[in-house]
Amino acid sequence: MGFLIWLEESSLGIFIRESLWGYPIVLSSHAVGMATVMGVVVALNFRALGYAKGISMLAFDKLFIIGWVGFIMNLISGLILFCNTPTTYFFQGSFQLKIAFIVAGGILMKVVMNSVRGETSENLIKVFSTACIAFWFGGVITGRLMAYL
Amino acid sequence: MDYDTYAPLASWFEATWVGDQMRNIFWLFPLMETIHFCGLTVMFGSLLVIDVRVVGFGRFINMDAALKFIPIAIGAFLVNLITGIAFLCADPFRYFPNIAFQWKLGLIVIAGLNALWFWFGEHDVLKQLADGEDAEFRAKVIAGLSIAIWVGVIIFGRMIPYVEY
Repeated sequence: MGFLIWLEESSLGIFIRESLWGYPIVLSSHAVGMATVMGVVVALNFRALGYAKGISMLAFDKLFIIGWVGFIMNLISGLILFCNTPTTYFFQGSFQLKIAFIVAGGILMKVVMNSVRGETSENLIKVFSTACIAFWFGGVITGRLMAYL
Repeated sequence: MDYDTYAPLASWFEATWVGDQMRNIFWLFPLMETIHFCGLTVMFGSLLVIDVRVVGFGRFINMDAALKFIPIAIGAFLVNLITGIAFLCADPFRYFPNIAFQWKLGLIVIAGLNALWFWFGEHDVLKQLADGEDAEFRAKVIAGLSIAIWVGVIIFGRMIPYVEY
């Protein structure tokens, strides 16, 4: 709790709360980063689920790099946004759920990529992939609902 | 935009059944918002596959297969068009004069024209592109514009609540 209060009172926290354009600009980049990460996650999983089979999963590697760019963009913008009111966000159910979804989605994305390259049966890949996409959408939904819940 | 210009249209949107439901059912607006966000990601991802291939960064993505993401992009766009119209009906007098909303709509129109240019000018040629082969310069420009314009749409959309009047 001490750390959260320190964060809230830090210059970054003050900046994001008080500057007129700081918050909307960081929030917009969070939305662009989201579209980028999620876009790549959706595309990779559609392919893993058997759509657009003509694309080799290996050819998607470049897309994976773009996904990381979006992820890092959102990690940074997300940390800045978090400094707005960390003492609230940290205890907010929708925020906790969002982070849990992203962690689970991230791990499953790795599982999907590994199983596509390995000998995993097509059905199992589809199970992983469905779960992966569900977790990531869960992250988007709970993130959006942070404004309400 | 001048009040007298948009007021009749705004009144019409406001009086619709959808507008009524959006204002009266408290969970409907947030629900539509989450759908709008999910739609956004599906659409952006589909465009990303195609545009990254055409621009050349993802040269080894099979072009013909990448183009299979077009119907998904269109489907996701329709989802967002419908949810977007629902927001508009909920509070048209807020959206019409909003400068970020106006820019967003303008960019969507431009993105649409860019997509038509892609479809009628490049699609059939691109379909034949071999793995690893570079698209022609004009196609790369269209693909680059597509990404840039849609990023702009996302930014202006996210800005709507912060530039009220």
